[in-house]
Amino acid sequence: MKREITLREVQVWMVGAITGASVDASSVERFVTDGPRLDAAARFEIYRSGYRARLVECLLDDYPVLAKTLGHERFEALATAYIDRHPSSSPNLNAYGRHFASFCLECAPEELGVPASFASELAALEWSVVEVIHAEAAGPLDVGELQRSPPERWARARFVRSEAVRLHRFDHAVNRHYQAVLDGGDATSSTALARSPHITPTLVYRSDVAVWRMDLTPMMHLVLGPLLAGETIGGALGQVEEEVTEPAQLEELGQNLHAWFAAWSSAGLFARIE
Amino acid sequence: MNRFSLPALGVGLGLRTVHYAHILEHQPDVDWFEILSENFMQTRGRPLHYLDRVAERYPVALHGVSLSIGSTDPLDMAYLEELKALRDRTGAKWVSDHLCWTGVAQKNTHDLLPLPYTEESLRHVVRRVKQVQDFLEAPLALENPSTYLEHTSSAIPEWEFLKELAREADCALLLDVNNVYVSSRNHGFDPATYLAAVPYDRVVQIHVSGHTDHGTHVVDTHIGPVVDPVWELLREARRHCEASVLLEWDAEIPDFETTHAEALKARAFIGEAR
Repeated sequence: MKREITLREVQVWMVGAITGASVDASSVERFVTDGPRLDAAARFEIYRSGYRARLVECLLDDYPVLAKTLGHERFEALATAYIDRHPSSSPNLNAYGRHFASFCLECAPEELGVPASFASELAALEWSVVEVIHAEAAGPLDVGELQRSPPERWARARFVRSEAVRLHRFDHAVNRHYQAVLDGGDATSSTALARSPHITPTLVYRSDVAVWRMDLTPMMHLVLGPLLAGETIGGALGQVEEEVTEPAQLEELGQNLHAWFAAWSSAGLFARIE
Repeated sequence: MNRFSLPALGVGLGLRTVHYAHILEHQPDVDWFEILSENFMQTRGRPLHYLDRVAERYPVALHGVSLSIGSTDPLDMAYLEELKALRDRTGAKWVSDHLCWTGVAQKNTHDLLPLPYTEESLRHVVRRVKQVQDFLEAPLALENPSTYLEHTSSAIPEWEFLKELAREADCALLLDVNNVYVSSRNHGFDPATYLAAVPYDRVVQIHVSGHTDHGTHVVDTHIGPVVDPVWELLREARRHCEASVLLEWDAEIPDFETTHAEALKARAFIGEAR
């Protein structure tokens, strides 16, 4: 007597056949019937192709600038390879593309058409945008009381960073490239500019509903980096003192430090002061 | 009135990202919005900012795609916890998902995969629907899926499976008349047979949407206006119940006014012309 196919058997086969590299035609006929106008294999293919198309679309949503930069074919090939390497195990796709930047580093330049390090940094920038959209943002922080307090108190104070802040130190000017592509610029020529090494500290944060991307001057990065890493204000300024020796840099610091603190606080980079 | 005393909300729209700004700025006169549950899960950020404002102003219901009620993997209790919290946060009138499964063995296809309609599947899904309803402390509305294949192991027509499932699990139904149309074309059954079997006292919501006709098969893409045969299925279904009606439009989404105008055509088919 023919043994009935169990629900578990159906499901294990179907997921394997949808997500796998290929599917055996005879197995399809064992599980799927022919339809009025399509045979079993064609009916099954609707689900198989739909799986990859859906996840490519998800990655395209997360990495629109990288997609424009690489071009449709290269991006789709990259995304498909990623999907095969990282099948989704979560009911939610919000975090699905989180490994894309590191995945780019594994790719050969001829697959990407740009240096892997550039593609990876651009992906990291775009992933930061996704992350800050989904992170809880902080409102403007009132630092008036702190400013009025004696130096020994604020030197010991520590800013707690907002969840919706990411700070990068890129080796390429990927944020400039990102903006050029958004502005309708030629992704290829912009890439040519941005692919040459150019250390660029870049801040990504969300304030209310708006996401901001901002390249920082080296001096701003020198101050903000330790603060976002949890250093006390005194400790952060101490690090700056050790690093800064040029008179021009000291002048920049003296002229701008107050304004930077005010801007960063009102932009919601910090959730609170401890 | 349905047997669950869930309210008839009128003619609503699926809430989509591209319409957020218009809705919040113009506060259009919309009866209700359907919220895609997963769009507001695994996030603490901007999506919830918009959702809270919509839910303050309009009645909402939650509609999910990842419950995977038919999977032979254990129910994802973390997912259910988050779903329940979202329901409570928004004051959603009910929670719905699909009669389908999305993955197994830790792989999620993010597709609404068809179940084999067998006694084993029926027992399995009834047990799980009861578990979910106990957890949510509310009826779950299950939607008939659009399907592109049939399993060799299926022994029960979908409409009978759905009817028996609803009776045994004592759950509510979300009747998607476009899905009835799509599946009828793909599998060669008469949609009138399907509608005649629906237990209308359990139907709390009806979906209408566009689809893509490939000639050999029809795909439930939620693109474009609703075709006349689907409007006629809505008319027939609403002869038997007063369920809330909702338009889904998920790809190539036009501006808000166009989308809403398409939804409001439903009034002509349900005897609520204004």
